Amino acid sequence: MRKKKIISIIIFPGSNCDRDLMIAVEKNLGIKPDLIWHQTRNIKKTDLIFLPGGFSYGDYLRAGIIATKSPAISEVIRLSKKGTPIVGICNGFQILTECNLLEGALLKNSSQLFKCEDVFLKVVSKNKFTSGYKKNEVVSYPIAHSQGNYFVDDQKLKELEDNEQIIFKYTSKEGVINNSFNPNGSKNNIAGIVNKKKNVLGLMPHPERATDNFSSKDGKIFFKSIYEML
Amino acid sequence: MIFRVFINFKPGILDPEAEAIMQTIKNMGNKSIEKIIKGKFFDIYVDDKKDYFKEIERISKNLLSNPVIENFKIIKKN
Repeated sequence: MRKKKIISIIIFPGSNCDRDLMIAVEKNLGIKPDLIWHQTRNIKKTDLIFLPGGFSYGDYLRAGIIATKSPAISEVIRLSKKGTPIVGICNGFQILTECNLLEGALLKNSSQLFKCEDVFLKVVSKNKFTSGYKKNEVVSYPIAHSQGNYFVDDQKLKELEDNEQIIFKYTSKEGVINNSFNPNGSKNNIAGIVNKKKNVLGLMPHPERATDNFSSKDGKIFFKSIYEML
Repeated sequence: MIFRVFINFKPGILDPEAEAIMQTIKNMGNKSIEKIIKGKFFDIYVDDKKDYFKEIERISKNLLSNPVIENFKIIKKN
């Protein structure tokens, strides 16, 4: 039998997807996650850490920046260097770019609108976070953000492409990637990336909200992939 | 002593808010306006015991601005 794995979810003041994530993890992985308050100074043992969506610290200054100064994030950075898988969803992605674990930055949506809708994503690179999907498979997750416009300079973009660090791109249902199917103005329709070592994933769409009967169920495979990698 | 830290987007970074403000000014009748750069500033009050410039610079780089997308400038005021 597999040894029991520990999954941690860091909670900041203003996180609001922590419970969705907790339920998705429980239902799809059969693991009750450890909920970790942002002031925790010592994360003893964990096999994977989630940074949930929401509006940590009210998005003051810039989305995610205040959270990067919390004690729990020092631990996330320390553990990421040791190879612990880290997944940041939505505000979690913003936090990961602000603490330089991931390249780039997330700007205000080019439309200036808060976008809350189902989108299609293409799994453009396969790695352990997406092992359950086929390469170039189109999946549907919801998005809910006002600052999801991914920006990175051209040199860094090339590095991301060359190292296959771009994981998800916004697309049409048929898999067409262009501006018409870009909900927020993200460079090259980028919706999710990993770091160079490929143990830190950030994505704006919400796989945890795509695991139930009333929604797309495409997120279930994401969580199945997570289970396989532990 | 006061340090005023100005922060604005680097050239080429899309700022939809500045675009909307510019469009509004145009709609108000001003046709000569070409570009608006929006930014923000922070006044940081410190004692006069030493020069805190280096420290303010560090704070500006690590917290107040995001070097990927923003520039900052520090002005010392007495």
